Amino acid sequence: MRRFVVVGRPNVGKTLFVLNFAGFLGLRQLEVIFREPDERLYLRRYQLGEALAELVDPEPHSTRCLQSVLVDLPAGKGKTQVELLDTAGLNNGIHPIPAIRRAIAQTLGVLREVDGILHVLDAAAIGRGEEEPGELDREVARFGRLRPAYAILANKMDLPEAGKGLAQLRREFPGQYIIPVSALRQEGFREVRRYVAEQR
Amino acid sequence: MAGAQALWSDSSAILAQVEAGSLSAAQALAALRSCAEGAENEAEARQARVKAVLEELDALVGLREVKHLVREIAALIEVQRWRAKEGLVSEPVGLHMIFRGNPGTGKTSVARILGRLFKEMGVLPKGHLVEVERADLVGEYIGHTAQKTREQIRRALGGILFVDEAYSLARGGEKDFGKEAIDTLVKAMEDHRNELVLILAGYTSEMERFLRVNPGLLSRFPIHLDFPDYTIAELMQIAELMVRRRQYRLEPEARVKLQELLWEVFRRRDQSFGNARLVRNIIERAIRLQALRLVKRGGAVDRQELMALRAEDLRL
Repeated sequence: MRRFVVVGRPNVGKTLFVLNFAGFLGLRQLEVIFREPDERLYLRRYQLGEALAELVDPEPHSTRCLQSVLVDLPAGKGKTQVELLDTAGLNNGIHPIPAIRRAIAQTLGVLREVDGILHVLDAAAIGRGEEEPGELDREVARFGRLRPAYAILANKMDLPEAGKGLAQLRREFPGQYIIPVSALRQEGFREVRRYVAEQR
Repeated sequence: MAGAQALWSDSSAILAQVEAGSLSAAQALAALRSCAEGAENEAEARQARVKAVLEELDALVGLREVKHLVREIAALIEVQRWRAKEGLVSEPVGLHMIFRGNPGTGKTSVARILGRLFKEMGVLPKGHLVEVERADLVGEYIGHTAQKTREQIRRALGGILFVDEAYSLARGGEKDFGKEAIDTLVKAMEDHRNELVLILAGYTSEMERFLRVNPGLLSRFPIHLDFPDYTIAELMQIAELMVRRRQYRLEPEARVKLQELLWEVFRRRDQSFGNARLVRNIIERAIRLQALRLVKRGGAVDRQELMALRAEDLRL
């Protein structure tokens, strides 16, 4: 089974992407395995709606451990199982809260082990000029290129100014495969599905 | 392997620094990346070195079975490493060996190449070869043997201890100190599991008797390599190689003469048949006889003559 990790800065929409992507692939009931930084594991079953309500939060750093969801992707005539790993956001600088630093270390640790990396950026925030792809995102991209599969998801394409942000991302990461998506509206998900299914 | 492990523990240290708040995520990613790149370069360089060692093995004349088995061993080590990386059960590969064959059949050359192979594959830290025989291990009074044997083991740590004519350790029966040497060797195999490979070598029939008398040894030496006598054609190939390496040349009639000599020895061969060593002796003698011939003749000697070995130079 291949593992894809979803990474990015806090509040770019990683959790919403993972849950809605699972929904897009036909899952109505989700089993989410939580892996705490101290390696404790627990499993929770959700209806998709419940999961969205409970796990997605406008506050940054609401995801504080690895949350793994298994999805089926089409592969030839059959299908193949892929593990999607949602992670704690990587922030610039050093976070003052130890629990968040531990979660960040856990995210970085899992980056070494996975088959693929989906790097989520907030295209709308970049378009509005609130954020720009900084050193952290550039480092994620440099690291990602060493891994077997690495793609950028330019998220929040449903918002105004996101088009501008996408253009800026293309300038910032020339030659890099970038998929524009809206995690909220499940837009661009076909392309993500095709990309993840192709990597083997 | 040691290099890759160091890099891996480096990357764990990086994560610990993130947790402790002394590295930002971006700094940590840059550091992790250089770790990964280092590991990749290291792995590539290592593979190239392994390949070079295997090519050297292939360059040895004959020994088809031995070459094949060495490749099997190398493949097994590699796959066990992959399995360990995937978290699958991986058996440590037992590498102690018995080499059976007559003198001069390539046992030492293969052992030396194995040492280098194991070093490049990360199985042994140094991979050097220490060649010993009974006299190096067995002492003259009680307690002397264990001390001498341990001294040889200490020299071989990190590499291969090659015990030639190992059957002679069981020569004198129960009271002989050879038994003590065997016990000391077996203990060292346990104590230095990851830093010593032991090879016991000797004549085929003697080694078989030796293992029958010491049944406990059989299970500790999982790999058995048979070194058959070289054929005449292979011995001729070895001779050509030796001559070329020394920048000499066998004249056509010298080649015929050498073949005749080898046949002669081959027909009345016994266990003392020298194999490659016999060829080397003949060639080295031929080089001396050629020198004598040229000096005796006097006058100007050209480059061609300095290189040519003639039939008259070849003698048993």
